Amino acid sequence: MNAASSSTWMWYASRATGVVALLLLTAVALLGLMVSRQARLADLPRFAVTGLHRNLSLLAVAFLLLHVLTAVADGYVTIALDSAVIPFTSRYERLWLGIGAVGLDLFLAVIITSLLRGHLGRRAWYAVHLLSYASWPIAFAHSVGSSGDMQSGWMLLLAVACAAALAAGITWRVRAAARDLPRAQRVHALMAELHARKPRAGAQ
Amino acid sequence: MTIPNEATFPVASPGSSVRPPASGVPRLLPRTPDGKPGRVPQDLAAHQGTHGSLPYRGGAGRLIGELQAAGLTGRGGAAFPAHRKLQAVFDAARVTGRQPVVVANGAESEPASDKDATLLWLAPHLVLDGLQLAAEAVGAGRAVLYARAASQGRRQGPLDSLNEALARRRDARLDRVPVRVVQAPPRFLAGQETALISHLDGGPAIPAFIPPRPAERGLGNAPTLISNVETLAHMALVARHGPDWFRAIGTRPEPGSMLCTVRRGDGAPRIIEVAIGAPLSVLLARSSSPVLIGGYHGTWVPASLATPLTLDNASLARAGARVGSGIVITLPPDRCGLIETAQVVRYLALESAGQCGPCLNGLPRIAAAMAQIASGRPRRGVRADVERWAGLVTGRGACHHPDGTARLVRSALTVFADEADLHERGRCSASRHAAPFLPVPQATARIEADWR
Ligand code: HEM
Ligand SMILES: Cc1cc2nc3c(=O)[nH]c(=O)nc-3n(C[C@H](O)[C@H](O)[C@H](O)COP(=O)(O)O)c2cc1C
Ligand code: SF4
Repeated sequence: MNAASSSTWMWYASRATGVVALLLLTAVALLGLMVSRQARLADLPRFAVTGLHRNLSLLAVAFLLLHVLTAVADGYVTIALDSAVIPFTSRYERLWLGIGAVGLDLFLAVIITSLLRGHLGRRAWYAVHLLSYASWPIAFAHSVGSSGDMQSGWMLLLAVACAAALAAGITWRVRAAARDLPRAQRVHALMAELHARKPRAGAQ
Repeated sequence: MTIPNEATFPVASPGSSVRPPASGVPRLLPRTPDGKPGRVPQDLAAHQGTHGSLPYRGGAGRLIGELQAAGLTGRGGAAFPAHRKLQAVFDAARVTGRQPVVVANGAESEPASDKDATLLWLAPHLVLDGLQLAAEAVGAGRAVLYARAASQGRRQGPLDSLNEALARRRDARLDRVPVRVVQAPPRFLAGQETALISHLDGGPAIPAFIPPRPAERGLGNAPTLISNVETLAHMALVARHGPDWFRAIGTRPEPGSMLCTVRRGDGAPRIIEVAIGAPLSVLLARSSSPVLIGGYHGTWVPASLATPLTLDNASLARAGARVGSGIVITLPPDRCGLIETAQVVRYLALESAGQCGPCLNGLPRIAAAMAQIASGRPRRGVRADVERWAGLVTGRGACHHPDGTARLVRSALTVFADEADLHERGRCSASRHAAPFLPVPQATARIEADWR
């Protein structure tokens, strides 16, 4: 693929939205890790972190859809719309676009179940939500594999930085979970900590 | 008072020649021959002598319409229409093809309450009749009686006496579905619906996220009806005497009577059955002290506001309170409402299941701040902090524990505002700081096994 020779703006738009979507999805995944460990971001209250995770994910999906639609609409290469969602059916770049379609499907599953969260059991929602761990590497592979530019230079650096950030985030999440107190002891620990800080507190 | 006619109640069974009793109170608790509330447990013979035999309806669904006509609401706290709950379970059973389960909720996990234990002690057969009738109405194949362990002052724990009552009923071949008695762990949340399901399924008594609702997928995934034991006892009376008899007392939206736990001084509470809509003043001490209505998830109300109210949700709403499970506590004049509330809030925080962020992080903070306000010379701005935190935790848990705790705390800061000013100057108006007045269990959960 030599996209640089293309003169259509849509081709560029497609690639730009693709890169933004990858960045956004990285941010969304990092925020998701924080939400699951109830971590705080700067001075934001926890529910604001949750809100950011949710809203950025919707933005990311908007960019993903733009990315797909502009790629399909662009006439330079022919990509059928259905091959954007049905994996490995594209005649052009079958492998890398197929991987991208798998990623898109997984993201859509995560988003749709989250929008329907009120109607699903928590367990079912969470099981689907964990698919995001699979979807990110797939999206990453699609990005690097199908783009000539991301295989070198600052674009490659950007991609590697995203992967490194996510790897660090996952490591932190696993460690934090291992440090977790058993549920039955959490409140006691916190009460003890609060009382130690303010020796005057205590009704008797 | 209307006497039910044959057309409405086709299944008149032998022994139901007993005439409907006067519709006044007490209805649930036994009466002495002169009509006064009795204090002696009713055995099966006495029960049948008073109430007649068990009027099975002869098929699923039939009682539901009568409950709707009676307008019976749940007595476990939420005052949800009983017939709608039964209908939901009945419908879920049809849709899923699974046979439902019925649970009598007698956990009474609220430490200030004693009405369910009293009912189970004095009139166990009325509750067990209700359990069988509810099981028949939703088409259940089995039932569970979930009750707390022995309470003080009774010679025999309710579990022993309940098992004995069940044995008598087995001998008499009364029960159509088997009943299993299960002891509720001594946790504040043990009576919450999803915590109850989790415990009965062999897990810890901690609330779960809904959906699924227990009515659709509860015990072992079967549609599950969870009713307070008092609600079931009322069902047994509606089935016998009919909706009109039931509606003869109470208010139009909230008919019938209810059991109240009344505390007006140190010592054991009094369990009083009153018509809903009765003047609240009959349950209050003659003092100008504030009143806690609805228990530890309830609301403090100043005496001046409380005295003219009646005991029903429409009236109590004017003071921001709710009937709840019928707990009415007058603070003795020699106690400090802030100290009492701080001790309760500390207990409530320690009883958090610790699984939702806002509850786990918020309640201990609120409790520590309340302790500071209670102990005198609080840091400036603590009251504003508590107000803010109370707002932040409300509605943000899997269950209503944070909401109820926030409600109690906010009402205390409003009603005891003058007292809090005093505390800021290092003084307290209470003359006694001895043992706490409001009952607060000292044993809190420290390991997972304490939740089972
Ligand atoms: C495609 C978009 C999304 C991605 C890639 C994503 C990714 C993630 C990841 C990686 C986690 C951490 C899971 C864990 O290890 O526990 C997470 C958690 C979470 N996400 Fe998302 N998410 C997306 C969309 C959403 C949306 C739309 C919502 C809105 C409801 C949402 C709500 C949550 C919540 C509440 C958690 C915390 C789960 C917990 O209780 O542990 N996510 N997300
Ligand atoms: C924190 C919490 C504790 C509860 N504890 C009890 C209880 O001890 N007993 C009870 O009958 N209901 C309790 N409930 C209410 C139950 O969840 C449920 O609504 C009730 O048992 C239904 O019965 P009813 O419809 O007959 O009132 C509690 C609810 C909450 C939120
Ligand atoms: S809100 Fe609190 S008590 Fe309720 S389930 Fe969550 S952590 Fe447990």
